[in-house]
Amino acid sequence: MTEQTPNNDSDQENIQTPSESPDVTEPAATTQDDPRQNWLKGRISQWRESGLISNEQSEAILKFEEVPETPFRLGMRFNRLIVVLSTLGAILIGAGIISFVAANWQGIPAIAKLALLIGGQTATYWVAYQLKFVRGFPKVGGALMFTGAAWFGANVFLVAQSYHLSTNNPDLMIWWFLGILPLAYLARSKAITVMAVGIFTIGISWKTAEIGQNTESAFMVMGSLLLIATALYATGMLHLRRNELKFHAGPYLVIGTLLAIGVTYVLTFDEVFRDSRQGSLQEFQALSGSYIAIGAIISAITIAAVIAAIRNTATSADATLVSKYGESGAIALVIAFGWFAAALPFDSSTPYVIAFNLLLVLLIFGTIVLGIVNKREALVNIGIVFFVIDLSTRYIELTVDMLDTSLAFVVGGILLLGVGYGMERARRKLLQQFGMTEAVNHDS
Amino acid sequence: MTPRVKRLFIAVIIVQIVFLLGIVGYRESILALGRTAVLQTVPVDPRDLFKGEHVILRYEISTLGNRIESGSKRYFVRGQFNEGDTVYVSITNVDEHEISYDVQTGGPSDRTDIFIKGKVTSNKDNVITVEYGIEQYFVPEGRGLEIEQADDVKVRVKINRSGVAAIEELIVDGEVWKP
Repeated sequence: MTEQTPNNDSDQENIQTPSESPDVTEPAATTQDDPRQNWLKGRISQWRESGLISNEQSEAILKFEEVPETPFRLGMRFNRLIVVLSTLGAILIGAGIISFVAANWQGIPAIAKLALLIGGQTATYWVAYQLKFVRGFPKVGGALMFTGAAWFGANVFLVAQSYHLSTNNPDLMIWWFLGILPLAYLARSKAITVMAVGIFTIGISWKTAEIGQNTESAFMVMGSLLLIATALYATGMLHLRRNELKFHAGPYLVIGTLLAIGVTYVLTFDEVFRDSRQGSLQEFQALSGSYIAIGAIISAITIAAVIAAIRNTATSADATLVSKYGESGAIALVIAFGWFAAALPFDSSTPYVIAFNLLLVLLIFGTIVLGIVNKREALVNIGIVFFVIDLSTRYIELTVDMLDTSLAFVVGGILLLGVGYGMERARRKLLQQFGMTEAVNHDS
Repeated sequence: MTPRVKRLFIAVIIVQIVFLLGIVGYRESILALGRTAVLQTVPVDPRDLFKGEHVILRYEISTLGNRIESGSKRYFVRGQFNEGDTVYVSITNVDEHEISYDVQTGGPSDRTDIFIKGKVTSNKDNVITVEYGIEQYFVPEGRGLEIEQADDVKVRVKINRSGVAAIEELIVDGEVWKP
């Protein structure tokens, strides 16, 4: 990880950098969870140690840059409120116009429809551009930009609908993704990046699912989704290498992780394999040449991306094996399991169930550990959520035949409360490790 | 935003608009320049809450049975068909009311110059299901049942030289259906 710089982007999440200046006197009112303040303290400490400034000067700068806690927190919350309100407002306007056009589709002349749809989309972009980059309203402008990107997607489907083209078509999702991805980078919008990567994931999963309807092809789909998940994560890793792209890495890492763990979770059930193996292939599944070729290309690109991402990455001398090779190891493992799921080499369900349950546990704990090591709170949260889901699933599987239903509910409830208590404690500790503090809120 | 990024930003928006206009232009060109064919259909399942009201159209040539129709007066099905194959259905008017279809892979039959291209979506027990991209017809709210309850529904399609079809209009019980 390269050095963190202060966050000036309108919708960038607050990535925390722990303070590197334990010996700098902290004014009482400075906030612990302000990334800008933490970054500044770290830099001032370095300048002071290298003799550029004196102790007095360092304290004076800190005092000068100090932001009182209350207004800062209020500002943060107000910013979020602006984003939420603007996004909701923009989506409501867009949805209103699009649903009006859709409901009166046949009654509106073709030219008017086209003008309304394309004109509306262009006008939204223009207003968004003016607000975000010219008039100095980045939050409202960003929300409108997001609406413009969503509007483009709606237009793709509405134009297809107007010519009675099948809207059950994943290609439309891919076109939508291709149309908005450059926009996400040019407008430096994390929201559009999330939309683009999410649409790509849904579109490509849908497209892969169209390979066929039989059981074996369903496992090929699962295998390819695991490969796609690794490709997404590796793309996120590549983004982290470059300062100007780092901002967009999160959605790739998070969606890649979600896809990998989600697919693995589906494959942990005995029923999934047991039902499918009845009367089907009893030997090594013959994968089609095109499947092998496409899978090999995705795997090769992913591995190349991972190698490129970890090469030349500055790691400190005390970096552990986990921080150096944890992510690449996990990706290699998921790629291997992707091929394993597609090929179905065994005729019994047991090896698959054992293997995928093991993989799920590894991925859950791996995600939490890598999230902590690399200071990515979202990954820690994903790991914890899937930990609870997996635990609940196994509990239900175990107790469904063993315990009386009411007793199972009571014991399950107690266990969940215990897990909840443990999670809250663990989460607080993690936030402290990240250099964050969390305001105690007594609302439940 | 630097001038270069600004130019790129405008370019992306122009590409989006050109893409949408491209779909419109392509479909309009089929409707304007394509050759006309009238296909018999059975509309089914007219409602979908998520996509607006539409009818699903199943054509005579949507389900091709090797065993039953092969070599009959109406169908000539040649060769083996696998899932994902592109099929070419050549259309020949036998007489005023009768149409003959030649169905084959690899390219259209030489017997006629009007053909429609489709994709095999399944092949089970020698019954082949083919989709031609004209299986949905969107209708205004509340009008789907009119089509579903009709005795005879035909679809007038326009087909371009590459075999791509576009729905021009529905003929419901002998009358052109006005949306």
